[in-house]
Amino acid sequence: MKRSVAILAGVIVASAAITLGAQSRTKPYAAKTAWGDPDLQGVWDYKTITPLERPTNFGNRQFLNDEEVARLEANAAKRLDSPPDENTPANLVHAPYMTDPGRKVDEDRRTSLIVDPPDGRIPPLTSEAQQRMATRRGGGRDGGTDGPENRSSLERCITWGLPTAILPGLYNNNIRILQGPGYVAITHEMVHDTRIIPLDNRPGLSPKIHQWFGDSRGHWEGDTLVVETANFSDKTNYRGSGATLHMLEHFTRTGKNSVEYRLTVSDPTTWAKAWTIEEHMRTSEGDLYEYACHEGNYGLHNILEEARDEEKAAAAAATKP
Amino acid sequence: MGKTLGNACMVVSMLALVTARPALAHHSFAAEFDANAPVVLKGTITKMEWINPHSWIHVDVKNPDGTVTEWMVEGGTPNTLFRRGFTREAVKAGMEITVEGYRAKNGANRANGRDLILADGRRLFMGSSGTGAPVDGRDASEKK
Repeated sequence: MKRSVAILAGVIVASAAITLGAQSRTKPYAAKTAWGDPDLQGVWDYKTITPLERPTNFGNRQFLNDEEVARLEANAAKRLDSPPDENTPANLVHAPYMTDPGRKVDEDRRTSLIVDPPDGRIPPLTSEAQQRMATRRGGGRDGGTDGPENRSSLERCITWGLPTAILPGLYNNNIRILQGPGYVAITHEMVHDTRIIPLDNRPGLSPKIHQWFGDSRGHWEGDTLVVETANFSDKTNYRGSGATLHMLEHFTRTGKNSVEYRLTVSDPTTWAKAWTIEEHMRTSEGDLYEYACHEGNYGLHNILEEARDEEKAAAAAATKP
Repeated sequence: MGKTLGNACMVVSMLALVTARPALAHHSFAAEFDANAPVVLKGTITKMEWINPHSWIHVDVKNPDGTVTEWMVEGGTPNTLFRRGFTREAVKAGMEITVEGYRAKNGANRANGRDLILADGRRLFMGSSGTGAPVDGRDASEKK
Protein backbone atom coordinates (compact mmCIF):
# COMPACT_ATOMS: atom_id res chain seq x y z
CA MET A 1 0.00 0.00 0.00
CA LYS A 2 2.87 2.38 0.82
CA ARG A 3 4.19 1.80 -2.64
CA SER A 4 0.85 2.70 -4.19
CA VAL A 5 0.62 5.87 -2.14
CA ALA A 6 4.12 6.88 -3.14
CA ILE A 7 3.36 6.27 -6.81
CA LEU A 8 0.14 8.22 -6.58
CA ALA A 9 1.87 11.14 -4.85
CA GLY A 10 4.47 11.25 -7.57
CA VAL A 11 1.86 11.23 -10.28
CA ILE A 12 -0.10 14.02 -8.62
CA VAL A 13 2.96 16.22 -8.29
CA ALA A 14 4.08 15.48 -11.84
CA SER A 15 0.71 16.19 -13.38
CA ALA A 16 -0.62 19.01 -11.20
CA ALA A 17 0.58 21.85 -13.40
CA ILE A 18 -0.63 20.14 -16.53
CA THR A 19 -3.99 19.39 -14.95
CA LEU A 20 -4.58 22.99 -14.03
CA GLY A 21 -3.40 24.22 -17.40
CA ALA A 22 -5.62 21.87 -19.35
CA GLN A 23 -8.74 22.47 -17.30
CA SER A 24 -8.39 26.22 -17.35
CA ARG A 25 -8.48 26.42 -21.12
CA THR A 26 -11.31 23.97 -21.66
CA LYS A 27 -14.96 24.78 -21.28
CA PRO A 28 -16.74 21.53 -20.44
CA TYR A 29 -19.79 20.48 -22.39
CA ALA A 30 -22.85 20.71 -20.22
CA ALA A 31 -24.63 17.45 -21.13
CA LYS A 32 -25.73 15.40 -18.14
CA THR A 33 -27.02 11.89 -17.74
CA ALA A 34 -30.53 11.29 -16.39
CA TRP A 35 -29.02 10.84 -12.91
CA GLY A 36 -26.99 14.04 -13.12
CA ASP A 37 -23.45 12.91 -13.98
CA PRO A 38 -21.55 14.60 -16.81
CA ASP A 39 -22.40 12.65 -19.97
CA LEU A 40 -19.37 11.13 -21.70
CA GLN A 41 -21.28 8.40 -23.48
CA GLY A 42 -20.58 7.53 -27.06
CA VAL A 43 -18.13 5.85 -29.39
CA TRP A 44 -14.99 7.94 -29.47
CA ASP A 45 -12.36 7.86 -32.17
CA TYR A 46 -8.84 8.81 -31.12
CA LYS A 47 -6.85 8.10 -34.26
CA THR A 48 -4.32 10.73 -35.21
CA ILE A 49 -1.08 10.92 -37.13
CA THR A 50 0.52 12.95 -34.36
CA PRO A 51 3.21 10.63 -32.99
CA LEU A 52 3.35 9.61 -29.36
CA GLU A 53 6.93 10.84 -29.09
CA ARG A 54 8.35 13.91 -30.74
CA PRO A 55 10.56 13.07 -33.70
CA THR A 56 14.08 14.18 -32.95
CA ASN A 57 14.20 16.51 -35.95
CA PHE A 58 11.77 18.85 -34.17
CA GLY A 59 14.18 19.34 -31.28
CA ASN A 60 12.42 21.23 -28.51
CA ARG A 61 9.71 22.66 -30.74
CA GLN A 62 6.25 21.94 -29.36
CA PHE A 63 4.01 22.95 -32.25
CA LEU A 64 3.84 22.34 -35.99
CA ASN A 65 3.55 25.23 -38.39
CA ASP A 66 0.91 25.42 -41.15
CA GLU A 67 3.25 24.08 -43.80
CA GLU A 68 4.24 21.09 -41.71
CA VAL A 69 0.62 20.24 -40.90
CA ALA A 70 -0.28 20.39 -44.58
CA ARG A 71 2.68 18.22 -45.58
CA LEU A 72 2.13 15.61 -42.88
CA GLU A 73 -1.57 15.30 -43.65
CA ALA A 74 -0.95 15.13 -47.40
CA ASN A 75 1.63 12.39 -46.88
CA ALA A 76 -0.76 10.47 -44.62
CA ALA A 77 -3.54 10.67 -47.20
CA LYS A 78 -1.19 9.54 -49.95
CA ARG A 79 -0.09 6.50 -47.92
CA LEU A 80 -3.68 5.49 -47.28
CA ASP A 81 -4.95 6.13 -50.78
CA SER A 82 -2.11 4.62 -52.78
CA PRO A 83 -1.16 1.02 -53.46
CA PRO A 84 2.25 -0.12 -52.29
CA ASP A 85 5.18 0.82 -54.51
CA GLU A 86 8.90 0.18 -54.59
CA ASN A 87 9.38 2.53 -51.65
CA THR A 88 7.02 0.57 -49.41
CA PRO A 89 9.04 -1.60 -47.03
CA ALA A 90 8.62 -5.34 -47.62
CA ASN A 91 8.49 -6.34 -43.99
CA LEU A 92 5.11 -4.83 -43.12
CA VAL A 93 2.30 -7.04 -41.93
CA HIS A 94 -0.11 -4.62 -43.57
CA ALA A 95 0.45 -2.41 -46.55
CA PRO A 96 -0.27 1.18 -45.47
CA TYR A 97 -3.50 1.35 -47.45
CA MET A 98 -4.90 -1.55 -45.42
CA THR A 99 -4.57 0.37 -42.18
CA ASP A 100 -6.57 3.13 -40.57
CA PRO A 101 -4.23 5.31 -38.52
CA GLY A 102 -5.90 8.60 -39.40
CA ARG A 103 -5.21 11.47 -41.74
CA LYS A 104 -5.06 14.43 -39.39
CA VAL A 105 -2.71 15.71 -36.75
CA ASP A 106 -4.21 16.22 -33.32
CA GLU A 107 -6.10 19.49 -33.16
CA ASP A 108 -3.52 21.01 -30.81
CA ARG A 109 -1.01 20.64 -33.67
CA ARG A 110 1.71 19.59 -31.29
CA THR A 111 4.77 17.76 -32.50
CA SER A 112 4.00 14.87 -30.11
CA LEU A 113 1.14 13.58 -27.99
CA ILE A 114 3.50 13.65 -25.02
CA VAL A 115 3.29 17.05 -23.36
CA ASP A 116 5.47 16.19 -20.39
CA PRO A 117 8.44 15.80 -20.17
CA PRO A 118 8.94 18.94 -22.23
CA ASP A 119 11.11 17.11 -24.76
CA GLY A 120 8.03 15.16 -25.81
CA ARG A 121 9.63 11.78 -25.26
CA ILE A 122 9.18 8.89 -22.85
CA PRO A 123 11.90 9.12 -20.19
CA PRO A 124 14.75 6.62 -20.49
CA LEU A 125 14.33 3.20 -18.94
CA THR A 126 15.74 2.74 -15.47
CA SER A 127 18.52 0.21 -15.03
CA GLU A 128 16.01 -2.00 -13.23
CA ALA A 129 13.73 -1.97 -16.27
CA GLN A 130 16.61 -2.74 -18.61
CA GLN A 131 17.53 -5.71 -16.45
CA ARG A 132 13.91 -6.82 -16.35
CA MET A 133 13.64 -6.72 -20.13
CA ALA A 134 16.86 -8.69 -20.52
CA THR A 135 15.57 -11.29 -18.07
CA ARG A 136 12.28 -11.56 -19.90
CA ARG A 137 14.02 -12.06 -23.22
CA GLY A 138 16.48 -14.53 -21.69
CA GLY A 139 13.56 -16.55 -20.38
CA GLY A 140 12.01 -16.63 -23.81
CA ARG A 141 9.03 -14.68 -22.59
CA ASP A 142 9.21 -11.84 -25.07
CA GLY A 143 9.77 -13.28 -28.48
CA GLY A 144 10.59 -16.93 -27.81
CA THR A 145 8.94 -19.62 -29.92
CA ASP A 146 8.88 -22.70 -27.69
CA GLY A 147 5.16 -22.26 -27.17
CA PRO A 148 2.37 -19.73 -27.17
CA GLU A 149 3.26 -18.57 -23.68
CA ASN A 150 6.45 -17.08 -25.13
CA ARG A 151 4.53 -14.73 -27.36
CA SER A 152 3.15 -11.32 -26.44
CA SER A 153 -0.32 -10.83 -24.99
CA LEU A 154 -1.09 -9.09 -28.26
CA GLU A 155 -0.19 -12.04 -30.47
CA ARG A 156 -2.03 -14.35 -28.12
CA CYS A 157 -5.18 -12.23 -28.33
CA ILE A 158 -5.25 -11.93 -24.55
CA THR A 159 -5.21 -8.16 -24.39
CA TRP A 160 -3.78 -5.19 -26.23
CA GLY A 161 -2.88 -4.03 -22.72
CA LEU A 162 -2.85 -0.62 -21.17
CA PRO A 163 -2.03 2.03 -22.02
CA THR A 164 -1.63 0.61 -25.56
CA ALA A 165 -5.38 0.05 -25.90
CA ILE A 166 -6.00 3.78 -25.65
CA LEU A 167 -3.03 5.11 -27.59
CA PRO A 168 -3.37 5.76 -31.34
CA GLY A 169 -2.29 2.79 -33.44
CA LEU A 170 -2.56 1.36 -36.92
CA TYR A 171 -6.28 0.60 -36.79
CA ASN A 172 -9.43 0.29 -34.68
CA ASN A 173 -8.70 3.39 -32.60
CA ASN A 174 -12.04 3.49 -30.83
CA ILE A 175 -13.49 3.25 -27.37
CA ARG A 176 -17.08 3.17 -26.23
CA ILE A 177 -18.01 4.92 -22.99
CA LEU A 178 -21.20 3.75 -21.33
CA GLN A 179 -22.43 5.08 -18.00
CA GLY A 180 -24.80 3.91 -15.30
CA PRO A 181 -25.43 5.27 -11.84
CA GLY A 182 -22.18 4.79 -9.95
CA TYR A 183 -20.28 3.25 -12.84
CA VAL A 184 -18.53 4.06 -16.06
CA ALA A 185 -17.66 1.32 -18.55
CA ILE A 186 -14.99 1.84 -21.18
CA THR A 187 -14.80 -0.72 -23.97
CA HIS A 188 -11.59 -0.67 -25.98
CA GLU A 189 -12.04 -1.97 -29.51
CA MET A 190 -8.55 -3.50 -29.29
CA VAL A 191 -8.86 -6.33 -28.08
CA HIS A 192 -12.48 -5.92 -26.98
CA ASP A 193 -11.48 -5.33 -23.36
CA THR A 194 -13.91 -3.51 -21.11
CA ARG A 195 -13.05 -1.65 -17.94
CA ILE A 196 -15.98 -1.44 -15.52
CA ILE A 197 -15.05 1.47 -13.30
CA PRO A 198 -16.77 2.07 -9.95
CA LEU A 199 -17.29 5.70 -8.97
CA ASP A 200 -18.29 5.15 -5.35
CA ASN A 201 -14.90 5.65 -3.69
CA ARG A 202 -14.54 1.99 -2.85
CA PRO A 203 -10.95 0.97 -2.19
CA GLY A 204 -8.88 -0.58 -4.94
CA LEU A 205 -8.01 -4.25 -5.02
CA SER A 206 -5.48 -5.65 -2.59
CA PRO A 207 -1.90 -4.96 -3.72
CA LYS A 208 -1.51 -8.73 -3.84
CA ILE A 209 -3.92 -8.98 -6.75
CA HIS A 210 -2.59 -8.20 -10.22
CA GLN A 211 -4.58 -8.22 -13.46
CA TRP A 212 -3.72 -7.99 -17.15
CA PHE A 213 -5.81 -4.82 -17.49
CA GLY A 214 -5.20 -3.53 -13.97
CA ASP A 215 -7.88 -2.32 -11.60
CA SER A 216 -9.58 1.01 -12.27
CA ARG A 217 -11.38 3.41 -9.92
CA GLY A 218 -13.01 6.66 -10.97
CA HIS A 219 -14.42 9.87 -9.61
CA TRP A 220 -15.63 13.20 -10.90
CA GLU A 221 -13.65 16.40 -10.56
CA GLY A 222 -16.19 18.91 -11.76
CA ASP A 223 -17.17 17.72 -15.22
CA THR A 224 -14.01 15.71 -15.68
CA LEU A 225 -13.92 11.94 -15.16
CA VAL A 226 -10.73 10.97 -13.38
CA VAL A 227 -9.70 7.31 -13.56
CA GLU A 228 -6.81 5.74 -11.73
CA THR A 229 -5.61 2.28 -12.73
CA ALA A 230 -3.11 0.15 -10.82
CA ASN A 231 -2.67 -3.52 -9.84
CA PHE A 232 -1.29 -4.44 -13.23
CA SER A 233 0.14 -7.85 -13.89
CA ASP A 234 3.84 -8.00 -14.57
CA LYS A 235 2.80 -9.60 -17.86
CA THR A 236 1.16 -6.38 -19.05
CA ASN A 237 4.56 -5.07 -20.14
CA TYR A 238 4.13 -1.67 -21.78
CA ARG A 239 7.58 -0.88 -23.16
CA GLY A 240 9.20 -2.85 -20.40
CA SER A 241 6.93 -1.75 -17.57
CA GLY A 242 6.37 -3.85 -14.46
CA ALA A 243 3.54 -4.58 -12.06
CA THR A 244 3.90 -1.09 -10.57
CA LEU A 245 2.58 0.53 -13.73
CA HIS A 246 0.05 3.25 -12.86
CA MET A 247 -2.29 5.29 -15.04
CA LEU A 248 -4.09 8.53 -14.20
CA GLU A 249 -6.62 9.53 -16.86
CA HIS A 250 -8.78 12.60 -17.31
CA PHE A 251 -11.76 12.55 -19.68
CA THR A 252 -13.49 15.88 -20.30
CA ARG A 253 -16.30 16.26 -22.78
CA THR A 254 -15.73 19.53 -24.57
CA GLY A 255 -18.55 19.43 -27.11
CA LYS A 256 -21.24 17.26 -28.60
CA ASN A 257 -18.66 15.42 -30.66
CA SER A 258 -15.44 15.91 -28.71
CA VAL A 259 -13.65 14.62 -25.64
CA GLU A 260 -10.36 15.90 -24.34
CA TYR A 261 -8.20 13.14 -22.94
CA ARG A 262 -5.14 13.34 -20.76
CA LEU A 263 -3.15 10.38 -19.49
CA THR A 264 -0.26 10.31 -17.06
CA VAL A 265 1.72 7.08 -16.98
CA SER A 266 4.14 6.25 -14.22
CA ASP A 267 6.13 3.31 -13.00
CA PRO A 268 9.12 4.21 -10.82
CA THR A 269 10.66 0.82 -11.56
CA THR A 270 10.57 1.55 -15.29
CA TRP A 271 10.96 5.28 -15.87
CA ALA A 272 12.70 7.88 -13.72
CA LYS A 273 9.68 10.14 -13.94
CA ALA A 274 6.05 10.10 -15.04
CA TRP A 275 5.05 11.11 -18.55
CA THR A 276 1.84 12.65 -19.82
CA ILE A 277 0.00 12.75 -23.12
CA GLU A 278 -2.90 14.85 -24.29
CA GLU A 279 -5.11 13.99 -27.22
CA HIS A 280 -8.54 14.77 -28.57
CA MET A 281 -11.22 12.22 -29.34
CA ARG A 282 -14.09 12.71 -31.76
CA THR A 283 -17.41 10.99 -32.23
CA SER A 284 -16.68 7.92 -34.33
CA GLU A 285 -18.18 7.95 -37.80
CA GLY A 286 -19.25 4.35 -37.36
CA ASP A 287 -19.92 1.95 -34.55
CA LEU A 288 -17.43 0.12 -32.39
CA TYR A 289 -17.12 -3.43 -33.68
CA GLU A 290 -16.27 -6.62 -31.89
CA TYR A 291 -12.66 -7.67 -32.16
CA ALA A 292 -13.05 -11.34 -31.28
CA CYS A 293 -9.50 -12.46 -31.80
CA HIS A 294 -8.87 -15.94 -30.40
CA GLU A 295 -10.81 -18.12 -32.78
CA GLY A 296 -9.28 -16.71 -35.90
CA ASN A 297 -5.76 -16.27 -34.63
CA TYR A 298 -4.07 -18.28 -37.38
CA GLY A 299 -1.03 -16.04 -37.03
CA LEU A 300 -0.02 -17.51 -33.67
CA HIS A 301 -0.30 -21.05 -35.05
CA ASN A 302 1.69 -20.09 -38.12
CA ILE A 303 4.48 -18.46 -36.09
CA LEU A 304 4.94 -21.61 -34.01
CA GLU A 305 4.69 -23.85 -37.07
CA GLU A 306 7.41 -21.83 -38.77
CA ALA A 307 9.63 -22.20 -35.71
CA ARG A 308 9.17 -25.99 -35.61
CA ASP A 309 9.91 -26.27 -39.33
CA GLU A 310 13.07 -24.22 -38.88
CA GLU A 311 14.17 -26.56 -36.10
CA LYS A 312 13.53 -29.61 -38.27
CA ALA A 313 15.46 -28.07 -41.13
CA ALA A 314 18.36 -27.22 -38.83
CA ALA A 315 18.37 -30.76 -37.38
CA ALA A 316 18.33 -32.29 -40.85
CA ALA A 317 21.18 -30.08 -41.97
CA ALA A 318 23.20 -31.07 -38.89
CA THR A 319 22.88 -34.78 -39.63
CA LYS A 320 24.06 -34.50 -43.21
CA PRO A 321 27.51 -35.93 -43.74
CA MET B 1 -4.32 -27.69 -48.23
CA GLY B 2 -2.30 -28.75 -51.21
CA LYS B 3 1.27 -27.70 -51.53
CA THR B 4 1.70 -28.05 -55.27
CA LEU B 5 4.57 -25.97 -56.52
CA GLY B 6 5.47 -24.91 -60.02
CA ASN B 7 2.69 -22.43 -60.26
CA ALA B 8 3.22 -20.33 -63.36
CA CYS B 9 1.36 -17.46 -61.80
CA MET B 10 3.77 -17.37 -58.91
CA VAL B 11 6.90 -15.36 -59.28
CA VAL B 12 9.57 -15.86 -56.68
CA SER B 13 12.65 -13.74 -56.89
CA MET B 14 15.19 -12.21 -54.64
CA LEU B 15 14.57 -8.66 -53.58
CA ALA B 16 16.77 -6.35 -51.62
CA LEU B 17 15.53 -6.08 -48.08
CA VAL B 18 14.21 -2.67 -47.28
CA THR B 19 14.90 -1.96 -43.67
CA ALA B 20 12.32 -0.01 -41.77
CA ARG B 21 10.95 -0.07 -38.29
CA PRO B 22 7.66 -1.93 -38.56
CA ALA B 23 4.68 -0.16 -37.04
CA LEU B 24 2.91 -1.97 -34.25
CA ALA B 25 0.67 -4.63 -35.72
CA HIS B 26 -0.88 -7.73 -34.29
CA HIS B 27 2.16 -9.86 -34.97
CA SER B 28 5.57 -9.52 -36.51
CA PHE B 29 6.06 -10.03 -40.22
CA ALA B 30 9.42 -11.74 -39.84
CA ALA B 31 8.11 -14.53 -37.60
CA GLU B 32 5.74 -15.71 -40.30
CA PHE B 33 6.73 -14.53 -43.76
CA ASP B 34 9.81 -14.21 -45.93
CA ALA B 35 10.43 -10.73 -47.33
CA ASN B 36 12.77 -12.38 -49.85
CA ALA B 37 9.99 -14.56 -51.27
CA PRO B 38 7.54 -12.31 -53.10
CA VAL B 39 4.63 -14.06 -54.83
CA VAL B 40 2.08 -13.00 -57.39
CA LEU B 41 -1.07 -15.09 -57.43
CA LYS B 42 -4.00 -14.80 -59.78
CA GLY B 43 -6.97 -16.95 -59.02
CA THR B 44 -10.50 -17.38 -57.79
CA ILE B 45 -11.65 -16.64 -54.27
CA THR B 46 -13.06 -19.79 -52.69
CA LYS B 47 -13.66 -18.44 -49.22
CA MET B 48 -13.31 -15.15 -47.40
CA GLU B 49 -12.82 -15.50 -43.66
CA TRP B 50 -13.92 -12.28 -41.96
CA ILE B 51 -12.07 -13.03 -38.77
CA ASN B 52 -9.96 -11.06 -36.36
CA PRO B 53 -7.18 -10.42 -35.78
CA HIS B 54 -6.72 -10.64 -39.55
CA SER B 55 -8.92 -11.66 -42.43
CA TRP B 56 -7.88 -14.61 -44.59
CA ILE B 57 -8.75 -14.99 -48.23
CA HIS B 58 -8.62 -18.45 -49.75
CA VAL B 59 -7.72 -18.50 -53.41
CA ASP B 60 -7.61 -21.32 -55.96
CA VAL B 61 -4.82 -20.77 -58.46
CA LYS B 62 -4.93 -22.85 -61.65
CA ASN B 63 -1.60 -24.22 -62.78
CA PRO B 64 -0.52 -24.68 -66.42
CA ASP B 65 -1.01 -28.46 -66.12
CA GLY B 66 -4.61 -27.98 -65.10
CA THR B 67 -4.14 -28.73 -61.44
CA VAL B 68 -5.23 -26.25 -58.83
CA THR B 69 -3.19 -24.96 -55.93
CA GLU B 70 -4.99 -23.68 -52.87
CA TRP B 71 -3.52 -20.61 -51.25
CA MET B 72 -4.55 -18.65 -48.22
CA VAL B 73 -3.70 -14.99 -47.98
CA GLU B 74 -3.59 -12.81 -44.90
CA GLY B 75 -5.31 -9.44 -45.05
CA GLY B 76 -6.17 -6.72 -42.60
CA THR B 77 -8.57 -6.60 -39.70
CA PRO B 78 -12.23 -6.94 -40.75
CA ASN B 79 -13.24 -3.95 -38.61
CA THR B 80 -11.05 -1.67 -40.67
CA LEU B 81 -12.01 -3.40 -43.90
CA PHE B 82 -15.66 -2.62 -43.17
CA ARG B 83 -14.89 0.97 -42.22
CA ARG B 84 -13.06 1.39 -45.48
CA GLY B 85 -16.00 0.28 -47.50
CA PHE B 86 -15.91 -3.49 -47.87
CA THR B 87 -18.73 -5.71 -46.70
CA ARG B 88 -19.30 -9.43 -47.06
CA GLU B 89 -21.33 -8.61 -50.14
CA ALA B 90 -18.30 -6.97 -51.75
CA VAL B 91 -15.96 -9.95 -51.56
CA LYS B 92 -17.46 -13.34 -52.34
CA ALA B 93 -16.45 -16.80 -53.44
CA GLY B 94 -16.11 -16.98 -57.18
CA MET B 95 -14.60 -13.53 -57.64
CA GLU B 96 -11.28 -13.19 -59.43
CA ILE B 97 -8.43 -11.66 -57.49
CA THR B 98 -4.77 -10.88 -58.00
CA VAL B 99 -2.58 -11.05 -54.95
CA GLU B 100 0.89 -9.63 -54.59
CA GLY B 101 2.49 -10.66 -51.36
CA TYR B 102 5.15 -12.57 -49.51
CA ARG B 103 5.20 -16.31 -48.96
CA ALA B 104 5.35 -18.16 -45.64
CA LYS B 105 8.90 -18.86 -44.51
CA ASN B 106 8.42 -22.63 -44.58
CA GLY B 107 7.22 -22.62 -48.16
CA ALA B 108 3.60 -23.42 -47.34
CA ASN B 109 1.02 -22.00 -49.72
CA ARG B 110 0.34 -19.12 -47.40
CA ALA B 111 1.10 -15.50 -48.08
CA ASN B 112 0.88 -12.07 -46.57
CA GLY B 113 -1.26 -9.98 -48.88
CA ARG B 114 0.58 -6.83 -49.75
CA ASP B 115 -1.71 -5.78 -52.57
CA LEU B 116 -5.09 -7.43 -53.20
CA ILE B 117 -6.75 -6.39 -56.43
CA LEU B 118 -10.22 -7.50 -57.45
CA ALA B 119 -11.15 -8.02 -61.08
CA ASP B 120 -12.94 -4.65 -61.16
CA GLY B 121 -9.74 -2.92 -60.09
CA ARG B 122 -10.74 -2.24 -56.51
CA ARG B 123 -8.19 -2.96 -53.85
CA LEU B 124 -9.18 -4.64 -50.64
CA PHE B 125 -9.05 -2.16 -47.79
CA MET B 126 -8.86 0.84 -50.03
CA GLY B 127 -12.21 2.37 -49.14
CA SER B 128 -13.77 4.83 -51.51
CA SER B 129 -14.71 7.71 -49.27
CA GLY B 130 -11.56 7.74 -47.22
CA THR B 131 -13.45 9.09 -44.25
CA GLY B 132 -13.31 5.87 -42.32
CA ALA B 133 -17.06 5.42 -42.58
CA PRO B 134 -18.72 2.51 -44.33
CA VAL B 135 -19.75 3.26 -47.89
CA ASP B 136 -23.49 3.49 -47.56
CA GLY B 137 -24.45 6.12 -50.09
CA ARG B 138 -24.97 8.85 -47.53
CA ASP B 139 -21.63 10.50 -48.19
CA ALA B 140 -21.89 12.67 -51.31
CA SER B 141 -18.12 12.52 -51.74
CA GLU B 142 -18.10 8.77 -52.17
CA LYS B 143 -16.75 7.69 -55.50
CA LYS B 144 -19.03 5.49 -57.48
